[in-house]
Amino acid sequence: MTLDLTPVLDELNERYREHGSDMKVATMTLVVFFENPAIGELARDRIHTLASKHPSRVIVLDGAQDEPLHRVEADDWIELGVKNSSAETLRSAITALRLSEAPLVLLWIASGITSDPRFAMLSEHVQTVVYNSSLLDTGHDALCELVEYVEHHPRLPLADIAYLRLAPWQESVAILFDGKDVEELFDLRRVEITCGSEPEAFYLLGWLASRLEWTPSSVNSLLNRFGKRVEFEIRREGEPRRISCIALSSSRSRFVAEVDQSAETIQLSVTGSSHHPQRYRAINNPGIAALLERAILWGQNDRVFYDSLNAAGEILARGKV
Amino acid sequence: MPARAVGDGAAVNPLRAGLSSDRITDPCSAVFFGASGDLFKRMLLPAIYSMRLSGTLPADFALVGFARTNYDDDGFREYCRQQLDLFMPDDQKPQGALWDDFSRRITYLTADFTDTRHFTALKERLAQNDEQFGTAGNHLFYLATPPPVFPEIIKQLKKAGLDKDAQGWTRVVVEKPFGTDLDSARTLQRAIESVFPESEIYRIDHYLGKEPVQDIIALRFANTIFEPIWNRNYVANIQITSAESLGVEERGGYYDHAGALRDMIQNHVINLLALVAMEAPIGSSADDIRNEKYKVLSAIQLPSHGEVFGMSARGQYGEGTIDGRAVKGYRQEQDVAPDSNTETFAAAKLHIENWRWGGVPFYLRSGKRLPRKVSEIAVTFKPIPHRFYGESTDQIEPNVLVIKIEPDEGISMRFEAKVPGPKEHIRSVYMDFSYGSGFGVQSPPAYERLIGDAMQGDQTLFTRWDAVERAWEIVTPILEVWQNTKDFSFPNYAAGSQGPEGAFKLFPGWRRL
Repeated sequence: MTLDLTPVLDELNERYREHGSDMKVATMTLVVFFENPAIGELARDRIHTLASKHPSRVIVLDGAQDEPLHRVEADDWIELGVKNSSAETLRSAITALRLSEAPLVLLWIASGITSDPRFAMLSEHVQTVVYNSSLLDTGHDALCELVEYVEHHPRLPLADIAYLRLAPWQESVAILFDGKDVEELFDLRRVEITCGSEPEAFYLLGWLASRLEWTPSSVNSLLNRFGKRVEFEIRREGEPRRISCIALSSSRSRFVAEVDQSAETIQLSVTGSSHHPQRYRAINNPGIAALLERAILWGQNDRVFYDSLNAAGEILARGKV
Repeated sequence: MPARAVGDGAAVNPLRAGLSSDRITDPCSAVFFGASGDLFKRMLLPAIYSMRLSGTLPADFALVGFARTNYDDDGFREYCRQQLDLFMPDDQKPQGALWDDFSRRITYLTADFTDTRHFTALKERLAQNDEQFGTAGNHLFYLATPPPVFPEIIKQLKKAGLDKDAQGWTRVVVEKPFGTDLDSARTLQRAIESVFPESEIYRIDHYLGKEPVQDIIALRFANTIFEPIWNRNYVANIQITSAESLGVEERGGYYDHAGALRDMIQNHVINLLALVAMEAPIGSSADDIRNEKYKVLSAIQLPSHGEVFGMSARGQYGEGTIDGRAVKGYRQEQDVAPDSNTETFAAAKLHIENWRWGGVPFYLRSGKRLPRKVSEIAVTFKPIPHRFYGESTDQIEPNVLVIKIEPDEGISMRFEAKVPGPKEHIRSVYMDFSYGSGFGVQSPPAYERLIGDAMQGDQTLFTRWDAVERAWEIVTPILEVWQNTKDFSFPNYAAGSQGPEGAFKLFPGWRRL
């Protein structure tokens, strides 16, 4: 089914005539696709926050709405009902409505990317694809899909919100091994991650594995570069999308980064032979808008992310065997 | 911007490879001399605590206050908490586990800056911090005292063996003003360099930590469209303004010995000139940028004493009205001499004798009690070479690019456009980019950035001695003439006016404030 964009283009032209003298800045065209109305509402709210910091033309592709919903809601905010629209229709709509000079960013909030031609079509035409493998709380299915998709599209300029959410945890784990304790990294025997959803946990494990050259050896263990076993355990516990603890044990010491009761700080503790005074770090859990910003500014070129994704994929694949 | 210095873990910890982090990796103890003073409570402590909240402060960190006021550790912690309560935004007040952790890392030494025993006690305290908080022998000494005390502190640090540490780094941050004239600056420099090498000295001018000042480098060197016209072929003149509507407030005692030339032109304004006029650095390291700044400053033609009146203007504000409110004159301010000869307004015309800028005047001005607070750099381009368009009554203005630093950070461009209609009327239009609405965020406070840079060993935004010395050399002839000639016209501009008449004789084209 086709989309008649005439009313939208007329409205945009009218607005430009009315407000054209107000010079403004635009940083991108942000295309948002979703199929779940509740998620759509949440996304709209977060995108407003993002767009107030990075002035953008926002094109909302509402996959739950029948055509002919199309309206220009605010200065540069366009809503299209695209429930029955084909991939080619969406591509042509975006081509017509995007700001010609500004980069195009796609925020895809739906499952089934490996079999959805709309995702394939749109992701080919944008500078950045932002995905969220833990939004739909489908265990690790969405992450597996992403791994599979990236395997076939290795040049996809991708960022995953679930991975970006890990930043304070990666930093905290790195702190535990700064300085003289770095040697303990090569003697780690066990990793325990407690998290409210799986993608974050697998990403964290994948990140460790890729940095430390661990390879999967069974459903719950990896081998370090010296061929020693590193067991892992992922406990699904607590709020979705929130890590609450990661504990790493070597033969001599135990390194723990754990959310404290206030849920505002990460408490870092080291016990055993590498004893260290307890430290605290602010979690500074970034909101979706801040994560989106991070995805757009840094995410798509992050080699560590791709390494972590690949490693997480290998670990998940071993689990399926 | 500059590459970050490698910290404790970055070099060896494989988990840090490729990890994007704002955190300062080196653990350290920061010692604040003058910790009971105004600068510490208003600026430095809030900056440090804000870094703590944002996670940029090293995880292994300790703060030592060192000042004359009598506190014990707990008393100083409570003092810090009270000040943070006053000066931090509502959502960042000290509380919870983070404050508890931060607070236990704060200690205090009641001290006499001339007593070596107190510096020996400081050495012991720092060793304790290394043991207790894992600060690894890295010490940042922040001189937030009145400048006359700086040499004594430096001397005592040396005597106590605190000038270097066998394990870690030692850095000293020196607040502005760096000297009160060329001689005193050289004396201070000799005192500091006899103890610390240049690579460990961080001369702070918080102005350089402001985001819009850093944006000057981005504007010039992250774009190609400006650089080809950034020279004598296209630029008619450059105006650098740092104006305030405030008077001297409670700083009359200090200001009456300083004046606008020392207080603003010698440091802030000349630094802006260096950034706007320097050549493209060959790299982003601190010295790459500072080499270019020094080079351009050293190309500034120094006036002889006889030339000073022809290339400068001074003023002192009298009574007047600002924002509808009557304000008193400078000589009626607290702690100001009733017959003061101190200038509250200074303007100068400088020339840079190099290939790029030969013949282009740089007009600098700074003053108090002007109509509004404005810091900006205005690049005025040459007029069109041949007019063939527009109605005969139309005034075709030259293009002006304005880099706005305060209060509305941004960039503005004036260009000429045709007014719609059958006639060929031309008028000026303005294209504005505001960092506030463009990116919708407030810039981080300057002190946060600068303290963080000092902890990371990045000297880019700190002024190197050769540039400080050169800036003093540039203003010295003017200072000497002004000091030795009383200006009987003072007060010569009303508060809230555009400044003294002499400034407009020097340059009639000043932008209106």
